[in-house]
Amino acid sequence: MIPDAPEKELVIKAQKGDRNAFSELVCMHSRGVLNIIFRMCGDAQIAEDAAQETFIRAWSHLGSFRTEASLRNWLYRIALNTATDMLRKEKRILPGLVDDLPLVDPNPGPECHFIDGEHTALVQQAIQSLPDASREVLVLREYEGFSYREIADALEIPIGTVMSRLNYARGFLKEKLEGKVALFKEAERV
Amino acid sequence: MSDHMTEWLNAYLDGELKGDQFQRLRQHLLECEQCRAELASLENLSKAMHMVPTPQFTPPERFAAQVGLRLAHKPTRATKSRVMEIGWWMIPVGLLVIWVLIGVSSWVADLVIAANSFGLLSGVPAWFIQGSTGAYWANTLAQFGLLSGTGFKWTAVTEGFARQFALHISTAVVYLGWIVVWWTRRKRDAQGQLLEG
Repeated sequence: MIPDAPEKELVIKAQKGDRNAFSELVCMHSRGVLNIIFRMCGDAQIAEDAAQETFIRAWSHLGSFRTEASLRNWLYRIALNTATDMLRKEKRILPGLVDDLPLVDPNPGPECHFIDGEHTALVQQAIQSLPDASREVLVLREYEGFSYREIADALEIPIGTVMSRLNYARGFLKEKLEGKVALFKEAERV
Repeated sequence: MSDHMTEWLNAYLDGELKGDQFQRLRQHLLECEQCRAELASLENLSKAMHMVPTPQFTPPERFAAQVGLRLAHKPTRATKSRVMEIGWWMIPVGLLVIWVLIGVSSWVADLVIAANSFGLLSGVPAWFIQGSTGAYWANTLAQFGLLSGTGFKWTAVTEGFARQFALHISTAVVYLGWIVVWWTRRKRDAQGQLLEG
């Protein structure tokens, strides 16, 4: 392990075949990669598998990575592609599932409040019923805090497309979740 | 047309609006209850999304060790990528060399034809002069008696011109194609540098 070595130096060493340098890079970026994949698929086990696959793909294509570019963006792009491929293979996306959940009373009594598990499932399912392209943009913005410019660069799309996909994603989620009023009331209390 | 500014609310919420657009929307929000409600709804949605917890993942060191066990010996594309990069920059150099060769051969052929017309190449073999005109098809057809006189001259001139023209055009098209790809790559790199900055 090479403590505190600058990322660029680690990349150059890893490109020459230094596995320890690559291992250090994996440590630095594993949390972010795991998070975005989990947000994409909503399944911790798939996220772990897809994250491993992401770093294996990154290692085998490391020679084509230009060191002046952002490693994080490059890894995240691989991660999003890997997550999409893996979900298609696993067929664990259940679009429209959120529609099957019961509507909540707009003025719920104490017995009708959402518990955390239900809230989580509801939001996670709504996110997963988004189209892949919109979901990727939403995940990078909401959970990783990427700016529009960073999203555009990571996904190689124009900023206008980032904005339209984000508008679509949030509009879609609002439409899916607003019927479940208690959800928003829960958020308001936070 | 609607007076509401709902299409800019996401960018406002994300801190992406700047300058005049930001001030306009801020002013609009003071006056428009509907847009304020829409903004509050978007904020609540964002809060609701952040209430979804992340699971306890494998710790980074252990995760890196698991990845390490599955890695191939070396990054396989490193050498190939360097060769590709050198090959990429050799394309315009190669095209330039081809273009110079075409120009020089055309120039030499013109000189030979001019020298021949002044009778300066009387001792030179006929194949050299005929070859220099570049009129191979015209000469071949003439050998079989299919062309003669004015027809031969026109065919020879047209054939030489068409060959030169086609060579210049195809070289230029490949070169322009390379420039388009180079420009696209440069633009992408510039975006990356902006991000780094």
